[in-house]
This record gives sequence, C-alpha cells and structure tokens, in this order.
Amino acid sequence: MTKLSTKKCLLMCLVISLVLIVAGAFLFGFLGFNTDSTTQDYTSVEVADNGYMATDSAFRSSLEELCLGEIEGKYAVGNVSYSDFAGTDPHLEFILSEIVGDEEMGTFVEGLESTLSTETYGDTGRTYGEIADISVTYHNAVYAAHYEQVWRAAIAAAVVLVLLFAYVAIRFKVGMGVTSLIAAVHDVLLTLAVVALCRIPAGAPLVCVAVFAMLFSMFLNLKVFGKMRKDFRLDERKDLSAKDAIELSVRESRKGVFIASILAAAAIVVLAVVGIIAGFDLFSFMIAALVAVIACTYSSLVLSPTIYTLIKEKSDAARARKARYDYSSEKANKKNAKVEGNRPEESAGNA
Amino acid sequence: MGKKKSVVLIVLITIVLAGVLFLSITPTFYVSNVNRFNSLLSIVDLGSDLGDGYYTVYYPEGVISKSEYEMLEAEYEYALENGDSGSGSVDDPAEEYTPYKGIYLSNEFLENGTVLQSFQDDFDRAYEAIKSRFEARRLSDYSVRLQDDYTIRVEVPALDHDDAEADAVAQSMFQTFAYSGELLFTDATSSTASGTAEMDGTSENIRSASTSNAGDSGYAVVINFTSAGQEAFRELTSTLSSSDSTTLNVLLGDHTLLSATVSEEMDVYITGGYTQESAETIATLINCVIRDGGTFDLGFESPSYYEMSPTLGEHTALVVAICIGVLALAMLVFSLIKFKGMGLAHTYGFITYALAVIACISLIPAVQLTLGGVLAILLASAIMVSCNYYAFNNIRKEFATGKTLTSSIKSGYKNSLAFTIDVHAILVIAGLAFYLIATAAVRYMALVFTLAIAISAVCTLLVTRFYLYMFMAQPKNERRRIAFVGFKREETEDD
Repeated sequence: MTKLSTKKCLLMCLVISLVLIVAGAFLFGFLGFNTDSTTQDYTSVEVADNGYMATDSAFRSSLEELCLGEIEGKYAVGNVSYSDFAGTDPHLEFILSEIVGDEEMGTFVEGLESTLSTETYGDTGRTYGEIADISVTYHNAVYAAHYEQVWRAAIAAAVVLVLLFAYVAIRFKVGMGVTSLIAAVHDVLLTLAVVALCRIPAGAPLVCVAVFAMLFSMFLNLKVFGKMRKDFRLDERKDLSAKDAIELSVRESRKGVFIASILAAAAIVVLAVVGIIAGFDLFSFMIAALVAVIACTYSSLVLSPTIYTLIKEKSDAARARKARYDYSSEKANKKNAKVEGNRPEESAGNA
Repeated sequence: MGKKKSVVLIVLITIVLAGVLFLSITPTFYVSNVNRFNSLLSIVDLGSDLGDGYYTVYYPEGVISKSEYEMLEAEYEYALENGDSGSGSVDDPAEEYTPYKGIYLSNEFLENGTVLQSFQDDFDRAYEAIKSRFEARRLSDYSVRLQDDYTIRVEVPALDHDDAEADAVAQSMFQTFAYSGELLFTDATSSTASGTAEMDGTSENIRSASTSNAGDSGYAVVINFTSAGQEAFRELTSTLSSSDSTTLNVLLGDHTLLSATVSEEMDVYITGGYTQESAETIATLINCVIRDGGTFDLGFESPSYYEMSPTLGEHTALVVAICIGVLALAMLVFSLIKFKGMGLAHTYGFITYALAVIACISLIPAVQLTLGGVLAILLASAIMVSCNYYAFNNIRKEFATGKTLTSSIKSGYKNSLAFTIDVHAILVIAGLAFYLIATAAVRYMALVFTLAIAISAVCTLLVTRFYLYMFMAQPKNERRRIAFVGFKREETEDD
C-alpha cells in the first residue's frame, strides 16, 4: 500500500480475491468439496459370526489380521472397527478407501468367505468358518448432506454481519462498518474458495471453519479500526491525509495483529501436526482453519485499510467541500443581511 | 492495597487456583475399590468426532441382513432334517428373499427381478422423514447414509458421559425416530383399535412441541396447540373425563409416545416425567410429524445399535487437550519473560480463564465439545491473550511518556478499555446470534465460544487487572515496582 496508489492496491487485492473466489466457486460447482472420511461415500466389507469373536478376543484379532491381509491385497483400507450389540451380533467392519462396484465386490466377498472356510485358526485344526460360522458381506453407503445445518449457519452469518455493521457503524464509523462487513464476507469466501481449490478434505465441520473465519476477521479488523479510531483523535494526525493517517495506524497495529494471528496459527499448526499422527481429518480441518487465519490477517492488514482509505478519502473530500460551500451559513448570512436591510424601515414604522 | 493484604490474597488465590487446577485436569484415579476420582476434563461431553458414538442400521420390514438370511437358512435346513418342512412353519428363505447388494429383499417387493415402484416410493419417503428427524434433533454432529439402496445407516454422538445413560439415550432415539404412521390423540392403545374419542395430531391442531424442566419429575414434553387444536383437545379431554376411559395416549402409528391420566377437562398442554434427552427426542419427533412429508407408512424392524469409536481416532481428544496445555504453558513462559510482573498477573489471569472455561464446558449440560468447539476455545484464548498484551503495551507506552507506574497502569488500562469492551461485546453478540439461529456443530461451537469469550471479557477487564494490583503491592518502593514489571527509567536508576 505504501508504494502503490490506493486504487491500484485495491484493484490488485480485489483481482486476487475475485480470481480465487470465482475459481473456487467453479471448482465447488463442478466437483464440490473434497470430502473427508466422515462425509464420503464408501464401500465396506463386514465380517460377522455367531458371537464367538465377542467372547474370544484372540480369535477376533486373528480373524481381523487375516481379513485385513486379504482385503489389503486388493484394496486400500481406510478404517477397521469392531462392534457388537451388547455382546451379540458382533462384526468387524473394514471401510475401503475407494468405492468398488457391486459385481466386483460380490466376487471378492465370496472369495474371502471361501478363504475363511479353508484357513485354519492357530493350531486348533479347525477353520475360521467352522469355529464361528462366519458370514461375509459388503455394503455401499452414500452420505446424505446436512443442508439444514448449512442454510441455518448462512442465515446466522447474515444476521451477524448486520449486527457487526450496526455495531461498528455506531461505535466506530460508518465507513469502518462497511469495511468490516466486506472484509468478513471476503474472508469467509476466500477461505472456502482456497479449501475447494487446494482440494483440502472437508466435511460437515467446514461450516465451523467458516464461522471461525468470520469471528477472527471481526476481531482483527476491530483491532486495526480500534487503533485508527484512537489515532484519528490525536492532534498530530489530524493534518495528515487519509492515506497517510491510515497507513500509519496500520503500521502501528501490525504487531498486535501478528501476535493474535501467530497465537492462533501456532495452536492450529501444532494440532495439524498431531492430526498427521492421530487422524487425517484433524489435519485437514486444522489446515482449513490455518487458511482462515492467513486470509483474515491479509484482509485486516491489506484489504480493509485499502477499502477504508478510499471511503475515508471520499468522505473527507465531501466534508471539505461542504465546509467550503457552507450553504447553511450562506443562507444565514443572506437572511441576516435581509433583516439588517429591513430594520431601518421597521424602526421608522415603529416611530 | 496493603502489603499484608496482598500476601494473604496471593496465598489464598494460589491455593484456590492450584486446587481447582487439580480438580480440573488430574487424570482419573481410583480412591477406593469402588469409587474413582473424575476430573472436570474427563466428564466433558464430546461429539462423535472426539468421543464415542453410536450407529444403527434401519432395515425396513421385508429387508434383512445376510446374517439374518443365513440364520433363516439354517432354521430351514434344521427343519428339513427333522422333517418339519411339510408343516409350513418354516419356509425356504431362498423362495422368500432375493439377494440385493449386501442385503436380502423380500420377493413381495420385486417384480421380474426389479424393485416395485410402490416400495421404492415408500422407502424414499421414509428415508427423507428419518433424515429430517435426526437433522431436527440438533445433535452436535451426526451422519445419515443410504446403505445398499434400501437400508439407512445413522451415526450419532454419545449424549451423556455416563455409558449406561448414553446407551439408553441412543437406543431410545434410534427406536423413536423409526416410528411410522400418523399422530393421534386417543384413549385407545393402538391406532387400529377404536377409542371413545380421537383427535388428529396434524398441523391444524398442533403448532409445535417443546420441552420444559418439570422440577422433581424430570423433563416434560409441552405440546402447543393451535386455537382449533385447543378446542378439539378440550372436547377430547372433557369426553374422556366423563367416560370410563381416563387414559389419554399420544400415538404415532402403533407406538405410544406419551400417556396421561385425564381426570378433568385439560387445557393447552400435557406433560409427563422424562429425561431431558428423551423429552427432546419426542418433541423433535412431534415437530417433524406435523410437517408435510413428516410421516411414512413403511415399518422398520426394531434396530440394533452399536458403539463406535471417535471418528478422529481413539485418543485424539486426550492428545488435543495435552497439546493445548503445552501451548498454553509455552505462551505463559513467553509472557513471564516478556512482561515480567505483568506477565505474572497475566499467568494468573489466564489460569483463571482456563479453569472457568473447563468448568463451563464440563458442568453445563447443554455443552458438547466438538472440533469446532476446540477451535472456538483457541480463538477466545488468542483474543484474551492479545487483549492482555495490548493493555501491557499501552502501560509500557504510558510509562515511557514519564508517568509514574501507578498512573501508567491506570492510563494503559484506560486506553485499552474501549477496544477490549468493543471486541468482546461484538463477539459475544455474534456468538449468541450463531447459537440461537444455527444448528448442529455450529450451534455447539457458538455456545462454547460465547461462554469462552464472556469469561475472557471478565478475566481481561477485571481479573488480570486485579491480579496486577495485587502483585504490585509486593515490592517495597517505586523503584522495585518498576523493576518488577521489567521497565527501566534513567532517573529512577540514578536515584
């Protein structure tokens, strides 16, 4: 902003943001978000028995190992889980990382079932099928999207934006209210666009990231505008042009913005690293949150000041014009002159 | 503040904070053979991403699993071996069912190998209705999946940290949400039996259903009638009170949702003793069935439910808690190094904040912590730390202008007051708006954020400042006070 003119800077910011948002929107329109493990459709292989694996954990582990080896020989396995219903109806579920066609899965399941009826368990001399009457099947599951959650969050966001504008316009300035509003919308859209563009896996909790982006954007923008509000009251800043005054305030509030952003980013990065070990969904969620932090920091230090500079320049110019052509005072002067002119007649009449 | 008073306060506050810290974060341990100590953190209700959950698979009547089919096959073979097949008590499942993906469909639903359109339509209506019931239940996170085209798999979080209670809640919710049929107010015990009087449970008569705390008798389901509904209900209850049959049942199909004894003409609501979760489930169901498309005719088998581990991994919640703890510790060490005495006040302030947040998320029943909630806590913490640093920097700037330390602290806080109040006020308002309007994960995230940011406001504006004054009373004179907060002044050093 220091070297470029305000308009050029704003144009550049808007072009970058618009390109990213439009590209993200197109990609979302065509492909949607890259789904994480909680929201993706999947094919699973289910291995159930007559209840034996609920009582013998060694048998269950051995069965799981054998099935996993067989399945991984052909498909990538995303998750393995064991469930039972109060000790009855026990089953192992192997969720595949890909969706497999019915015919292929039907053949595979038959193969696995015959393997289990021929493979012997340990040194018992009996096959798995003989011991536990094992049944193997597969399922294809299609995820149903939560539209109510999305549209209600969108309505809530719209209400929050109106409240934000009203609050900032009253407590700060109308121009700052407009800018905070634009910045909050921009940050949410930019975050979602980058998540779509970078194909970061995202599920239902992505709505939480969007809300986080909005709240963090509000905080950082208020931080910058809070500094401006304080600085604009100082006598030494009153003579500065809008651009210089805003530039100075932004420079001085940069440290505070960075501290908040670094604090949030540090926690997010650590949890993302944990996610690599603990579960990939945590990693992708935290990466999306990190995108939000970066977008908010950028907008509060670059985009918002640029927008507000333009607004302030215009409002300052309008105020100056108003001060130069003070119609009200002119009218008052004319009126006074008229009254002055009439007075001798009135006094004469009175006499 | 006097020095002695300050010492007493420091000792007391340190003991209290240490005690509450112990209660909050100590790992669970046994205090006797039967009793164990549970810290506040260990009783936080977690969403299914961080904590355990339950899932079920709804099988429509006439659709069975492979295990069930194999069981029928075994029964048939046993009957054949024992010569029972001729009696007709056991049918050949191969003649009754046809394999379809991972399930078996009754031949009644098939014509020339293709599924009948009528069954397809019934199932689609039931799928949409069940999906909307879980959506309306406002769970922190859940998922509904269409499995093998004709079964429905639903996953929900555990709604209580007590395993037995969570089991019961999950079972009740899975069963209740599979009820088919129309809503009916009657004294009959099933929709097919004829009662003395009846009232339809449609949107013409019912506006909505909600829950309310009924004190000692648990929670109540409150049904809000329309004016036409009030009149119809008054007529119904006056008929029942004057007849021999005094039990009013609220039926959904053949299932009894609510039951009440009518002794006199009743007005606009009926209540009964329930747990909060079961009352909310029934209220949600009533709200859904009075909407268009909220009911269906297809019957479902009583579902089995299964426990499932957290979707983010078995011990993710613990690891996340440890990481946040380590990060907080690093931040506090940094604060102590950078701001010295003020950093000490910040440390006490932040610990108070953290303990208050832990107490809120563990003791308020409405809170369920999900990944979104963790993000909300991180954000509120970052805001709190940032506001404290802002105040400390203002104090430093004021001191640099030549003011006394006491005056600098006063002015520093005064300068940061407007910003701190504005930030917290707008964020509390935003959090509340999200909590009141949004649903699912965002609602729970907003609740955690609103609580955390409100606590942050109190801790930043009052508690940390109080701690700073408390610690500032300790050094003997102004010079030592200045050294205590890590400031430097030439004149003071010369003195």
